[in-house]
Amino acid sequence: MRALANTAYFWRCAVQGVRRAPLVHLLAVFTIGMVLLAAGLARSGISLLDSLTESIGGEVELTVYLREGATESSAAEVARLLGSKTGGSAMVVTPEAALARLRAELRGVGDALRDLPSNPLPYSVQLRVAPALRNPAALRALAAEARAMPLVQDADYGEEAVARLTAISRAVRYAGLVAFTVIGLATVFIVAATLQLAIYARRDEIEIQKLVGATNRFVKAPFLVEGGIQGVLGAALALAALWAFSQAVGPKLQLLFAFLLRPGAQLSLVSPSVACELLLGGGVLGLSGSFVAVGRFLKT
Amino acid sequence: MIQMFHVSKSYASAPPCLTDVTLQIDKGEFVFVTGPSGAGKSTLLKLMFCAERATSGQVLVDGRNLGRIRNSAVPFLRRNVGVVFQDFKLLLQRTVSENVAFPLQVLGVSRVECEERVRKMLRRVGLAHKADSLPPRLSGGEQQRVVIARALVNEPTILLADEPTGNLDPELTIEILDLLCDVNVRGTTVVVATHDASVLTRYRKRIIRLQGGRVVFDGNELRGRALMAAG
Repeated sequence: MRALANTAYFWRCAVQGVRRAPLVHLLAVFTIGMVLLAAGLARSGISLLDSLTESIGGEVELTVYLREGATESSAAEVARLLGSKTGGSAMVVTPEAALARLRAELRGVGDALRDLPSNPLPYSVQLRVAPALRNPAALRALAAEARAMPLVQDADYGEEAVARLTAISRAVRYAGLVAFTVIGLATVFIVAATLQLAIYARRDEIEIQKLVGATNRFVKAPFLVEGGIQGVLGAALALAALWAFSQAVGPKLQLLFAFLLRPGAQLSLVSPSVACELLLGGGVLGLSGSFVAVGRFLKT
Repeated sequence: MIQMFHVSKSYASAPPCLTDVTLQIDKGEFVFVTGPSGAGKSTLLKLMFCAERATSGQVLVDGRNLGRIRNSAVPFLRRNVGVVFQDFKLLLQRTVSENVAFPLQVLGVSRVECEERVRKMLRRVGLAHKADSLPPRLSGGEQQRVVIARALVNEPTILLADEPTGNLDPELTIEILDLLCDVNVRGTTVVVATHDASVLTRYRKRIIRLQGGRVVFDGNELRGRALMAAG
């Protein structure tokens, strides 16, 4: 009962506090909103990179090179085994077909291959994996499994390109995290500074509260609720801006970055998970700002 | 109820406010603390509700040694001590009801109960009709009664009043002190700091007289009056 009365009181005080100093709170909400908007856009950029990594991983076929001395029947057996494992299609490429393909790829220089005493190329199996396995991790596992087969010399799926893209994606992700931490801390201090103005305006009230027996926690609570409200409103502002942005330029971006997206994938700026993350981020920023501000005030 | 043993209080680079004060105030007593300006009356009261800590000596309130309680325990002590401030300390943008309700909100009393108790308290101090007024629209006496109502609304066992009639005319002074006497009759221990000699002669209560931070007299009204007349 007492907790309920306290909670109701804290909310009443917080709402009154927002009403009494709307401009100060608006500034804090706007700051949080802008930071979260930037974070939301950065998140979309990162997911675009992820999508690129995945689509490249999906496009690359797995080529399994067999050892010297492998026969057409053993190559067919390997192809059957890999095909049944992955649920995709596997095609045997004979040494002659491989040489012809190489010659065609080398164009003018390709004729030099005619002078080779024998065909140095082995039997190989070209594997197109099922869509569910078209990602770097699954391909890596599949290549490792193929390499472990006795007749297999090597397996290749453009590992380096995928690894490089994954590394770029990871670097961008870390850079984003560092940037968001720095900007987030700056925001906490901006929010704290704005809230400090609101707290200063209510210093008499706090003094009397302390004189009549309020604990520090009791004094802090309404300001924390105020900070939380600011955070949630900031997140709502960021979500609205993201939605407006996606409505205005979303279709153009979809066309522009279509080559980066998996087939059928949609470039989405606003989704339930983005909304949850932004609301959580806003809440954390608002609460941290108010915690710093009221803590600093009570110390003095 | 309140005990002080060899209490001294001093601030850096200033002469001591209180020196070697020893006194005892029993439950249900009404005590005037008097003396000239700067004698240490307000400091003495501040020590009793932990607004200040003694530099040396022991202060016991309701059996608790204030020198030893942690800062986090101070609010719980204050919930049992009502304080009437000389400068009122009212929130000018809040109504009389809201000002009086403050200590109840701190205690987590429900809104309905809070309203009921505030209404009763305002009736008791004769301000029921001013419940929705803002403090600046009240007279000095009315404002002081609001402060008393706020100090008493959570039924503390001790009431400390620092110059409660300092800014009031003689008529309002009597009105306020009658109210404090009524509070005392109902069982609350009342300590009033005042430098108003007329108050001391009108109300025959125990007097603690301070001078230069020392207790120079502790006794009944007649001897106190004689002492004041002497100097």
